[in-house]
Amino acid sequence: MNLTPNNYLKAAFGIGLFIILCIGGFTYKHIQSLSESSKTVKSTYSVSSELAKILSNLKQAESGHRGFLLTSDSIFLDPYFSGVTQLKENLGRLDTLVPENTDQRKNLKKLKSDIEKRFSIFKRSFGLVDDKLILSEDLLYVLHEGKMSMDQIRKDLVNMQDLESRLMAESQVKNEKAMDLTPLMFFGILILTLILLLLAYAKMNKDLMELKDTNDDLVVFKKLTQQAEKISHSGTWIWYVEEDEFYYSDNLFNLLGVEPNSFEPSLEKFIGFVHVDDREGLGQQINKMIKEEDLPLVTFRIVQPDGTIKHLKAFGKLIENAFEEKQLIGVTVDATEEYENFKLIEQRNQELERNNKELSAFNYVTSHDLQEPLRKIQTFISRLEVKDKDNLSEAGNICVEKIKSASARMRLLIDDLLQYSRTNKTESDFSETNMNMLLESAKQELIDSIEEKEAVITSQNLPTMDVISFQIQQLFINIIGNSLKYSREGVPPKIDIKHEEVISSEVEELKDSFIKHYHKISIKDNGIGFEQTYAKKIFVLFNRLHGKTEYSGTGIGLAICKKIVDNHNGVILAEGIPNVGAKFIIYLPYLK
Amino acid sequence: MNSDYINIALADDDEDDRLFFTDAFEELKIKSKVSTFEDGIELMEFLENSNNTHPDLLFLDLNMPKKSGLECLVEIKTNDRFKNMVIAIYSTSSSEMDIENTFVQGANIYIKKPNNFETLKKVLSEVVTTNWQYHTNGLNKENFLLRL
Repeated sequence: MNLTPNNYLKAAFGIGLFIILCIGGFTYKHIQSLSESSKTVKSTYSVSSELAKILSNLKQAESGHRGFLLTSDSIFLDPYFSGVTQLKENLGRLDTLVPENTDQRKNLKKLKSDIEKRFSIFKRSFGLVDDKLILSEDLLYVLHEGKMSMDQIRKDLVNMQDLESRLMAESQVKNEKAMDLTPLMFFGILILTLILLLLAYAKMNKDLMELKDTNDDLVVFKKLTQQAEKISHSGTWIWYVEEDEFYYSDNLFNLLGVEPNSFEPSLEKFIGFVHVDDREGLGQQINKMIKEEDLPLVTFRIVQPDGTIKHLKAFGKLIENAFEEKQLIGVTVDATEEYENFKLIEQRNQELERNNKELSAFNYVTSHDLQEPLRKIQTFISRLEVKDKDNLSEAGNICVEKIKSASARMRLLIDDLLQYSRTNKTESDFSETNMNMLLESAKQELIDSIEEKEAVITSQNLPTMDVISFQIQQLFINIIGNSLKYSREGVPPKIDIKHEEVISSEVEELKDSFIKHYHKISIKDNGIGFEQTYAKKIFVLFNRLHGKTEYSGTGIGLAICKKIVDNHNGVILAEGIPNVGAKFIIYLPYLK
Repeated sequence: MNSDYINIALADDDEDDRLFFTDAFEELKIKSKVSTFEDGIELMEFLENSNNTHPDLLFLDLNMPKKSGLECLVEIKTNDRFKNMVIAIYSTSSSEMDIENTFVQGANIYIKKPNNFETLKKVLSEVVTTNWQYHTNGLNKENFLLRL
């Protein structure tokens, strides 16, 4: 059984009532037994006094009888007769006093018969009275007989008296026993009641304290809720479903743009604030909620009295209180800012999408439309070269050569630009890749140049890394290609590739990174190098350190490298010493 | 149909490219009949006329007015009459998307228009002499784009 405070009270009341009834029962029983024993005492006294009266009346009758025998004067017969009459009355009273079927009743019977006997002796002696002879022999005998009978009666009376005394003593003992126990029991019950009372008091006191604590908590909680509502731009409400009554928190009124408690809350009043276009939808939701007793998240607009439109969202939940009454409690939040932000993001997304589309259209233009006329120029020149080379003057042939190299350079530019614009980041392109394989593929691509320049490329074992593989391969091609291109005249290129793991806090350029571990890949050559002042510039698009005639190139290669490393959230650095060599250092995040 | 000749068709809106194409075949001295079309509509009208001899080898430019090469490819591949026709895509573009789309639609090979006439001749002779039965069986995305 679940003991709620209510049930505790009921139990305590029941026990108290039971104890009081017990006390009443015991008290009644004890008073009854007391009155019984006092009745016994009273009857014993009555019997004893009747017995004493019987003896005295008998004596009165005997002395009357004796006087008459001596004097024959009938004046002595009066006490005799009155004694006899009173004796009869005494016996009659005893008859009622002595209960039936007891030892005392037997004694009474014997007493009666003995008294009967005594009276018959009295009567007989009256018959023997002779005026002349004072004491005849017969009379003497009768008198003796009378004395013996009298003794017998005395004995009977003593017997009865003894028995009464004994009965009274017994009843007294019994009474005393009961009387002894009574105070103890009353005292015990009293103590028990007191303990119960104290327990009940303690319990109630404790409950009251708890209630007070809970009340305090509730007050604090209410204040907190009010603050939270203000900060989060939300309001709370309760719908007492059975009474169809509402409670709105102060901030809910504020959300509606009115002063707290400025109207009696009701569903109709609330709907009045809802934007006309949203009323139907919200109405349907509320109907559904009444049916299913649950309000899913609903969004709707309200119009404040000053015309401001707010976007609200509400959520409700059905609960039952201690009296099993249904209450729908809910929260309404001002989602205007959220809605506006969402709209802004959506707008920007659309803008981005448009930009991306334009960019891919541009890509197509460069890949197709720009290449087409160039391709034709190149094809026509190749035809001219084959078919009419001999018909052209020397100057004409030089012109053809110039056109050829210019269009070749144009092609290179277009191809590089295209590659630069295609070097984008897509998460799905990342995969665990063996970097040694990528390096090997890059070397394969450059095999002609490597063999031509008799380059020596040495590399440490590289780890497996999470990268966009075709981009990293391009990175290797561009940097090694760079080293091959910018080699010193007559010095075979020597390219050394190293790898180590570093901690970002120990590297100047990575100090601000959130990622702790990095892969460091360095590619060092013995080429013409460059002034350290240009170390940053070489990664900028179209930036070249050398004239076009000295070294071919578009100034895009290293810009592509930078874009690739950026795509991998890494850092690329260059170090150069003129006529000694260049060193490219690439840091790529290592997510352990 | 004369079996000594190979029937070749080209659909390309670019006059210069058509010229390069026919010149190349002339210089290659391959026994061939080359017919050219200026756009997709013209090509499809020719193909749908059952009186005309179907080409054995069709070169399709992708970027054409009225009807693009890709549209022609889809139409041809859904028609059972042309199921033995070898289709070579012949385009300036080498974008991944174009290569992917035409491969999926069932083209046999993808040729990026060369920058050099001599290269063009080499490419065309390679395509014409290829055993298409054999090539098509082993066709995959790697060898779909012709590399020389």
